[in-house]
Formats: sequence, structure tokens, C-alpha cells
Amino acid sequence: MSGRIDQIIDMVVAGRHKEIEGAVRGAIDDNLDLNSIINEGLIGAMDIVGKKFGAGEIFVPEMLVAAVTMKKGLEIVKPLLKGDASKPKGTILMGTVKGDLHDIGKNLVIMMLEGAGFNVVDLGVDLSIEKVVEKVRELKPDALGLSALLTTTLPEMQKVVRMMGEQGLRESVKIMVGGAPVDSTFVEKIGADGYGKDAASAVELAKRLVGAH
Amino acid sequence: MKSTPYNLVMSALYKGMKGERPPAANPTSVVCHDLMDAVGVSFPEAHTDANAMAELALAGHEIIGFDSVMPEYSVHQEAAALGCEVDWGSRDGMPDSRNFPFEDFSDIPVPDDLLEKPSMRVVLDALSILRRHVGGKAAVIGKVMGPWTLAYHMAGTQNFLLQVGLGETEKVTRMLRQLMPVTIAFARAQFAAGADIVVLADHATGNLVGAYHYQELLLPIHKELTAQIEGPLILHVCGNCLDRLELFADAGFDGYHFEWQVDSRNAVERVGHRLALVGNINNARTLFQGTPEDVRAQVRYAIEAGVDIIAPECAVPLATPLENLKAIIEAVHEGY
Repeated sequence: MSGRIDQIIDMVVAGRHKEIEGAVRGAIDDNLDLNSIINEGLIGAMDIVGKKFGAGEIFVPEMLVAAVTMKKGLEIVKPLLKGDASKPKGTILMGTVKGDLHDIGKNLVIMMLEGAGFNVVDLGVDLSIEKVVEKVRELKPDALGLSALLTTTLPEMQKVVRMMGEQGLRESVKIMVGGAPVDSTFVEKIGADGYGKDAASAVELAKRLVGAH
Repeated sequence: MKSTPYNLVMSALYKGMKGERPPAANPTSVVCHDLMDAVGVSFPEAHTDANAMAELALAGHEIIGFDSVMPEYSVHQEAAALGCEVDWGSRDGMPDSRNFPFEDFSDIPVPDDLLEKPSMRVVLDALSILRRHVGGKAAVIGKVMGPWTLAYHMAGTQNFLLQVGLGETEKVTRMLRQLMPVTIAFARAQFAAGADIVVLADHATGNLVGAYHYQELLLPIHKELTAQIEGPLILHVCGNCLDRLELFADAGFDGYHFEWQVDSRNAVERVGHRLALVGNINNARTLFQGTPEDVRAQVRYAIEAGVDIIAPECAVPLATPLENLKAIIEAVHEGY
């Protein structure tokens, strides 16, 4: 039985996007538990991909192809989930801050979070503070994820955190930040709840923050 | 040798005579709000008006004290000339492209009047103005985007990297080769307009792609670029590039402008005898959030490591305090 899962893992890690559908259908036909196909197979594979990325063994091109492969697999399993299994773990708003149009990091995190069972709302790039406030009010997410690539746009993250406080929304939402120039010192300085140094650690962070919420 | 700003920069670029102190240069933007206020010139007009552009560049030399002047603050001049809709931003934000006109990897026609497109002409005119003002006194630095970065703008970064990941080598290489003439033409025109050095920014960074991607897809193109562009070229690639320093030297660049993730001692030891090292004062933690004393400590570390030209690692955050930028200059004026 676990051979099927291993096969799925290998395909996602290697980015064999053309073959994943057959492998997932095979696992379903063998009556494997759907949650195992997702959590141990597809998401488990992305954990491995994240670790390989963190170790510098693979890079964004391979990670994107792995994510595409995972997504194709998920699309086959998700419609079959019933009851609690299909219930999202929480809602997370994600966006790249104002002045920054870089979205690969954010998109990778979104794909991983969705894979991990979160309901993710993508607010896009060049995100104005007003829009963040409006969406947090409207959607009442468990967490807000902010991304930036440019060092020139780092101050925007601080502004968003401050504005959440001023609007009385800070207590109701956890704020996660990420992106190449972000580090733990910066997180403390701006008063965010945590940062993920890559997509895999962002998912771990989300599980921790939203779980404790 | 006279220890003038121009002499110090040019001599250090070719690892020649050492003057009284190491040079401090700015291959990428050092514009911050304090500097805009000091000269009364602001973004976005400094991206689109040659006089404003030159005036702000001059302030980097006259007010902060850098030994060079560099008038190109955005990475979208070529993208605009090739048909991207560029939003030139505001006082608080850098320009960016709003669309990716060649997402489908269709052929990219390079316009015959490429160098006369407003976004290109403005840089050439600003370089000529700077040449007239500080030629022979401060090093005049131009900047062009390499084909890899231009491909991000043409196709969208994620889309381009996905094609790389899918192994669409022919498609990727065709786009890079179609963009090469843009880099060559703009660099040559910048030298003709008055640049002493041109920075070639090509973001095949370790944060996105592997050394193996660089070696397979971009190194052959970089070798051709360095052969075809005669003047002094400094390569700029941000992020952690520890795994590809030797490849950058193999490409034939005269200098490499690098970030803090690449330790300066390591860089000097490995490639310091093959090209000039320019960098690598940390933007986010040190220049933007640190104190002048933090800046000084990093500058002195880089000088002791043997970095040839001291510089911020990349375009500085707009809210960077002016005193932190001045601290770079004070620290290099302490000498070797």
C-alpha cells in the first residue's frame, strides 16, 4: 500500500507533472485513505521539496514544477473529501506589500498552505494598507501573511502591523511576514508574530500560529 | 597616483595602485528620502527627466560623498522601451512593470529606435550631463539589465522560471538570445554618452536559481556579452551567490557587485585575484535599521577582507537614514 504513497512522493519531488494524475488515481483505486494521499503523499512530498530547497539542492524552477505537480494531484483528491476532512484548518490572507510586485515567494507559500489544508485568500501584489484593513474586517482571517522581496519595501510591513493596531484588529489576527530581506530581528522590530525563512517554514509557522489562535 | 575619487575607483577596479584610502562607489541606487529632500528632486521625476536624474545622482557624490555617480534608479528602463507598461512609482515607491508582454514566449521585436525611446534616452542624457559636471573627478557609472532580468520583465519571473523548471531550454534560450542585443546596445551607448563603468545587472540569484542553471543557460551568454561590450563591466547579481562566484569570474566581468550573504573574506579568497569585488554593506539590517557604528563595523570588515570597492549591496531602502550612508564614507576615509 505504502508503495503507492512513495510513488506519489517521488513524482512530486521530481516534478513529474504529466504522470501524477495516474499515480493518484491508482492510489484512489486501491482504496487508500484520501487523507493519507494528501498529507503523507502530496503534502509530505512538498515538505521534502521545501527541505531540499532550504538545503540549496534545488531552486525555484524545480520547486514551481513540484508545486504544479502537487496541485494537479490535489485537484483529483479534494472533490472526493467529505465532512470534517474537507473543512479548512483556518483562513489566511496573503499579499505582497505596497510598492512590491514580486510574488513568487508568496505564490509558493500559498500553494503549500492550500496543500496543508488552509483556506487561503490571495490579495495579490502592491497591496495598499487600506485594502488589507478592509479585507481583514470583511473576511476575519486567522492569519495575515505579508511578503516583500525588495529591501526598499520593508517599511511597508511595519506600516501594516501598526495600522492593524490602530484599527483595533491586531488582537484578532496573527501576522506572518516573509521574503528575502526579512529576518527575525526585523520581525521583533515591527511587532509581527513570526516569519518563515522559506515556504516550508511558513507552513509550519501558520500551523503553530493558527493552531494556538 | 593622486587619490581623487575617479582615480581611486578606476584603479581599484583593475586592482592597480592603492591610494590613501579605499573607494566607496554606488553601482546601484543610494537615493533615500533624506537625499531627495536635500536637493529638492524626488521620484518619480528622477526616473523620467534627465536633469532631475543627473541632479539626484550628483547628490550621491556631493552630499553623501560617494566616489561615483550613478543615475539609473529603476530596473525598468529597457522593459519600458520594449513595450512593458511601467508605473514610474512615487516618492515612496520604486517603478515596476504592470504587464508581461511576452508571456507566451513569442518573438520579441527590438525596435530600431531602441536608444531613442524616452526611458533609454533619459539615462543616456543624464550620463552626458554627469560627464560634463564631474568627468575625470568622480567615476560615472551606467547600468544595464542583462537578458535574464529582461526575460523576467518580458515573460514574468514566475512564468520564466517555470519554463526553466519544465526543461524548456530551447524556448528559454531563444528569449535570452533575442534580448542580448538590447543589453549590448544600451551598454555601448552608455559608454559613448560618458559612462566610465557600466553595471550589468542580471538576477540569476541563488535565491531563485541554481549555479547549474547559470552555468547551462546564462554563462555562455555572459561570455558573449563581456566579449562584445568593450568597456569596464561590473556584474550585479543579488542574493546568495556563494556557489557561483567562480562562474562569474569565468564569464569575464571586470568586477562583481555582491550582497552580504556572500562573506567578503570568502569572496576575496576565491575570486579576488580574478575580478574586483564591490560591495557588500547590508541594506536591510545595517543601512536601514542599524546605527552609523554598525555601518562602520561592516565597512571596516569588508576593507580588511580585501573588498576592492566599498558599496551598499543593492538599491537602498528609501527610508534609509542619510547618516548611515554617510557613515560608509567616513569609514572608508579612515584609510586601509
